[in-house]
Amino acid sequence: MASHAEPLDVARVRDDFPFLDEMVHGRPPVYLDTAASAQKPRAVIAAIRDAYEHGYGNVHRAVHHFGHRATEAYETARNDIALFINAQSADEIVFTRNATEAINLVAASYGRSALRAGDEVVVTEMEHHANIVPWLMLRDRHGIVLRVAPVDDRGIIHIENLAALLSDRTRLVAVTHCSNVLGAVTPVRDIVRLAHDHGAVVLVDGSQAIVHQAVDVRDLDADFYVFTGHKLYGPTGVGVLFGKGNLLAAMPPYQGGGEMIERVSFDMVTFKDPPHRFEAGTPPFVQAIGLAAALRYLTAIGIGRIADHERSLLTHATAALEDIDGVRILGSAPEKAPILSFTMDGVHPLDLAVVLDRAGVAVRAGQHCAEPLMRRLGIDGAVRASIGVYTNRADIDALAAAVRRARKVLI
Amino acid sequence: MGTRTAYETHVSALDVIDDDDARLRSIIELGRRRQSEPFPAAWKTDANLLHGCMAKVWIVHAVEGDRHVFHGRSDALVVNGIAAIMTESFSGLTRAELLSRTLDDVRRFRLGALATERQLGMMAMLKRFQKLAATSQPEN
Ligand SMILES: Cc1ncc(COP(=O)(O)O)c(C=O)c1O
Repeated sequence: MASHAEPLDVARVRDDFPFLDEMVHGRPPVYLDTAASAQKPRAVIAAIRDAYEHGYGNVHRAVHHFGHRATEAYETARNDIALFINAQSADEIVFTRNATEAINLVAASYGRSALRAGDEVVVTEMEHHANIVPWLMLRDRHGIVLRVAPVDDRGIIHIENLAALLSDRTRLVAVTHCSNVLGAVTPVRDIVRLAHDHGAVVLVDGSQAIVHQAVDVRDLDADFYVFTGHKLYGPTGVGVLFGKGNLLAAMPPYQGGGEMIERVSFDMVTFKDPPHRFEAGTPPFVQAIGLAAALRYLTAIGIGRIADHERSLLTHATAALEDIDGVRILGSAPEKAPILSFTMDGVHPLDLAVVLDRAGVAVRAGQHCAEPLMRRLGIDGAVRASIGVYTNRADIDALAAAVRRARKVLI
Repeated sequence: MGTRTAYETHVSALDVIDDDDARLRSIIELGRRRQSEPFPAAWKTDANLLHGCMAKVWIVHAVEGDRHVFHGRSDALVVNGIAAIMTESFSGLTRAELLSRTLDDVRRFRLGALATERQLGMMAMLKRFQKLAATSQPEN
């Protein structure tokens, strides 16, 4: 799927995003922080508004019209998400607050039921804190052993380095599908095959990958796949945990409360089947409906077409920044998502980001919730420019021009 | 005795700059000037490091009589300039004076347009000053 007859019409896409009508310090916005959170198209905002205006009532509990409509829309969203990632069934889709909660759910529920003290969990040096801290907590409370697979300077996980860490004690491998700092896309299919050969299950953090490429959980053969709604042009407050049906079925609840039970007395409680077993309390159903609208929006444009557009902008941005004195780009994996982190010799990333903001250019500066990776790369922080469906060449040119001007102010 | 405090000097120096770009440039220049002044490596300890800021900031505290004195240093120019403004403005106060300072006093620098006072770490700095003053033993 390398080429698409019609390239993306970015001008038309930009018309769908109301944030572009704002002015930032007297200038039109140049938003290059999509990897932190994506701006929302009108279709998503309209779906949320519609849910509140025309079909709002609590889900799963009501016999009335509004409750039915909300429940139907919520369960349809679950089904849409299952189709989007090619899950076998909507029952494999659990709604959470975000990717972080999805990983915590697996660490707490699967981790404490299927793992024993001394069992090993493998992560990589390139993980977001969301895919490190829950495992550290499981280590400290439950006695698992955490092993860390190295990445090279380009952001590549060499499968033989990972293989060297796996043994019959390995029970789970938790790996990002795409680094939020280096943009490196990891060889998930190979990692899954290797882990399965050792009898381990694999959790894939797809928070960044799913924004830029089609994801097929069955093709990857991932056991758990998590992502977060707000980076995928959907609303905040909703994330997704995909889990293979047999795994979810064997897992105990994560939190207790309404929605997730069958029967409750003071002597005993029985729980619903997945996915509802893992959705205690009123779920973020309006947000799930909004997320489904985002997926429809992206699908209508074409995921492959978006990926082509973003790839060409990444190439343009890489060349434009490399051309600037003192700029060093981090990460050069052969398969790289449109996430461009860089440093400038003699300039602190925060200073650069603050000066860029004055020019209306929004980037992120800091450690990007990946302190271990920063330490591994031997840097204190970096500036990250990230590209989305609405990014155009003028945005990239504005970034490069602003970085050049910032260098004059800061050096 | 009619001499303006460091706080008022900083407030009025920033007040006369009516454009945010120029205000940012002046913070950067201040940060650059202060960076060339000595700040002993021995002060850059983990205990002196202020967490929750996007750049490293070290805050050092001393008590002179009943007055509290602060020094600050950051590896980012913007934050170093802000640390200079904050440490100079809030040095030389008694514990009671320091504890009575609030966000409103910080807002008078009018730096919120560059980023919120929270993002720039200004509130975190003030809270650190207050904590250091509150927990320090008075001299003799
Ligand atoms: C790779 C990766 N994983 C996980 C997360 C966490 O996402 P959230 O904060 O929405 O849970 C992020 C986003 O910051 C990320 O980039």
